[in-house]
Amino acid sequence: MAASVTRPALSSLCKINSNINGIYSLTSFSRRISISSVLSTSAVTTETEAAGRGVRGQRRSKRQAGEPRTERMTVDQDWTAVYPTAASFKPSAVPLPVRMGYPVKRGVPPAKKGNLELIKIPNFLHLTPVAIKKHCEALKQFCTEWPSALDSDEKCVKHFPIQVQSKEFVSAGLSLRNPDVRIVTLKVKLSSLNLDDHARKKMIKLSEERYCKDTDTLTITTDSCPLRQQNYDYAMYLLTVLYHESWKTEAWEQEKTRADMEEYEWEDSPSQKKVLDTLLRMRALGAKDEVEEGTREELLGQPAVQEYRDTMLRLKNEGETEENLQQYKEAVKKLFNI
Amino acid sequence: MHFLFNFDNTHLSTYHSEGHSGQYYTLPPTHIQKLFPYGLPPRFQLQIKTFNEGCVMVRPPALELISYLKRADYSKPPLRYVLYGDIGTGKTMSLCHALHYCYSQGWLIVHVPDAHLWVKNCKELLPSSSRPSRFDQPIQASQWLKNFKITNERFLSKLKTTQRYVWTKRESTEKGQPLGELIDQGVNRMKSSSDVVGAVLRELRLQAGGATEGEGAFKLAVAVDGVNALWGKTSLKKEDRTMPEELTLIHNLRKMMKNNWSGGAILTALSQTGSVFKPRSAYLPSELLGEEGFDNMEPFVPVSVSNYNEKEFESCYLYYLDRNWLQHPHSRSEEGKKELIFLSNKNPSILERLCAFL
Repeated sequence: MAASVTRPALSSLCKINSNINGIYSLTSFSRRISISSVLSTSAVTTETEAAGRGVRGQRRSKRQAGEPRTERMTVDQDWTAVYPTAASFKPSAVPLPVRMGYPVKRGVPPAKKGNLELIKIPNFLHLTPVAIKKHCEALKQFCTEWPSALDSDEKCVKHFPIQVQSKEFVSAGLSLRNPDVRIVTLKVKLSSLNLDDHARKKMIKLSEERYCKDTDTLTITTDSCPLRQQNYDYAMYLLTVLYHESWKTEAWEQEKTRADMEEYEWEDSPSQKKVLDTLLRMRALGAKDEVEEGTREELLGQPAVQEYRDTMLRLKNEGETEENLQQYKEAVKKLFNI
Repeated sequence: MHFLFNFDNTHLSTYHSEGHSGQYYTLPPTHIQKLFPYGLPPRFQLQIKTFNEGCVMVRPPALELISYLKRADYSKPPLRYVLYGDIGTGKTMSLCHALHYCYSQGWLIVHVPDAHLWVKNCKELLPSSSRPSRFDQPIQASQWLKNFKITNERFLSKLKTTQRYVWTKRESTEKGQPLGELIDQGVNRMKSSSDVVGAVLRELRLQAGGATEGEGAFKLAVAVDGVNALWGKTSLKKEDRTMPEELTLIHNLRKMMKNNWSGGAILTALSQTGSVFKPRSAYLPSELLGEEGFDNMEPFVPVSVSNYNEKEFESCYLYYLDRNWLQHPHSRSEEGKKELIFLSNKNPSILERLCAFL
C-alpha cells in the first residue's frame, strides 16, 4: 500500500521540482525523494492512526525551541532592526531583565518569559531616539526649509501669535478616514492682543475656563463641524467675536458688584472702612467727633495705613502664606503703635 | 541639663519674660478652679489630675501676647489677637496662659472655652422669645453663665445694669440692679438664658474701661477659643430638618468681637479640631475664618504658634522624666529621646500622647 502511494508521489515531485527550480542536482533530488518518502510514510501513518494516537501524536511533532535571540545580541547592534514597527513585547527579542506583575506572598514580580502583563501593555520599543532620527532623516526630503528670519521663539510668537493645532491620522483599515481629524485647537496669548483693562477682564470672564491664568493663553477647541476647514473658520470667527464683544460696554455692566471683581480692591472695601473707623475712634476719644473729608484723606494718607493697604492687597490677591501674615502683623502693629 | 528646665514658682505671670522661655511655671490650684472650670484642654486637665499640679510651659507666642497686653493703650478700642497654627501646637494653652496673666492682673474675664460647642451637637434648640427668627440654646447658655459666675465673683456685686430688661410678662430686671442678679436670673430661668447672656455681654461692653478710675473701672478680656465657629456653618437643625438662620449666642458673641467698645482686649484662637466642614490641613486665618470672618475680625494681630523648638522639647522631656511619667527604661536614653523627637516631630500634643504610653 505504501509503495503504490509513493509512486505517484515521486512522479508528482519530479514534475514540481523541474518546474520550480532547475538548480537542484541529482544527489539533492534523490535525497529529497528519500526524505519526502519518509515524510509521506509518517504523514500517512499519522493520518490513519490519528484516532488511536491522539495527544502523543501532536507532542511528537512539536519542535524544540532553540536559544532565544537575546543570547546572540551584541551591545552595539542595530535596535531598529529588532523592532522596526510597533509590535508586542517579545521576551526572547528584548534583552532586558524586566519583571512585571503582582508578586505572590514573599515573592518577587514574575519574570518576563511568558508574562502576559508585559504583552498586554503598549510598548514604545520601536520609537527609540535612534529610530526617530532615522524617521526624521527619511522625512527630510519631503520638508521645506525653515525661514531663516525666525530663529528664536520670541520672534515666532511675535509674528505669529495665533497657534492652530490639528492632528493627522494614518491608518490602514476598512476605512482611511478618522473622525478626530476635524478637531482644531486655537491658542493665543492675550498679551499679544490689543486689549485695555476693561476689555481684558471682560474677555477673561467670557472665556471662563478656556483661559489659563498662569500662561495667559486663550485656548479655543472646536469640533462641532464635520470638516477641518469649517472648524478652523469657526474658531477664527469665535476669536473675532470675543475680541469685539469685550471692547463693547453694555448698560448692565454698571451693576458689577464686589463679588464679581476679579481682584481685591482696597478702596471702598469693608477693610478700609473698618480701619478708618478704628482710627477715628482712637482719635475721637480725645478730640472732636466730626469727620471732615480732610481728616479722612489725611488718615488714609498716613504711611502706616498705606502699608496696611499693601499687605491686605497682597494677602487677598496672592493668597495667604506665612510671610504674608508676618507682614500683615507688622503693618497692624505699626498702625496701632504697639 | 537642668538649667533649661526649672520649676519657676513665680506664678505671677507679670514677671515672665524672654529669658523664661522654655521653663515651666505652676498654676496655683485656686486659680485653676476659678479661672478654668472648663477652659483648659481636656488632656491637660487629666494631666493636672495625675500630676496633682498644673504646670504650663512658658513659650514665645504667649510671651508675645502678654507683651502686647502690657504695652497696649486701654483708652483706645480693643485690639484683636488671633492665635493660629497647626493642630496640636499649643494655641489653647497659650491662650490660657495669657488669660491667666489677665486674671492675675485683676481683669474681668469673658471666656468661651470652645465656640464650636455652640454650633454643633446641641440637644435643645428653642425659638427665641425676644426675636422671632432667632434660636436659643438654653443648656449651653446657662452652663456658660455658671462658669462666668465662678470666674468673676468679685465683680458681680460691683457692676450694675444700665437699663431695664424684660424677660417675660412677670419677670424683669430693673435698672441699677447688680450684675449678679442678672446672671442668677439666667441660670434659674433656662428659657431666657441666651438673652441673659446677650444682656450681660452688652453691659460689660458699655461699662468696660470705666468712665473714672474709681470703683467701677475694670479691664475686660474677651477670650474665645475656636473663634472660626462664629462665622462658619452650623450642623444644627430645627425640628423640621432645616438649618436655623441665626443663633442668639452666636449673634451676641459676634457683636462682642467688634471693636466698638474700649478698655480691654480680645484674645482669640483658631481651631480646626472641633470645626464643622473644614478640611484637616487648614490652619491659616483666612482659611479657617472664611471671608466673612476675616472681614469681621480685621484689623487683627496674628500670632503664630508652632511646634516645640529644641530647647522647649528638652524642657518638656525633662519635666516628664522628673515627674516619673516616662516609665519605659529605653525612654531615658539618648536613643529613646531621638525616637521621641522623630515620632512626634516635636509637636506638643503628639508628644504628650506618645509619652502617655511609656
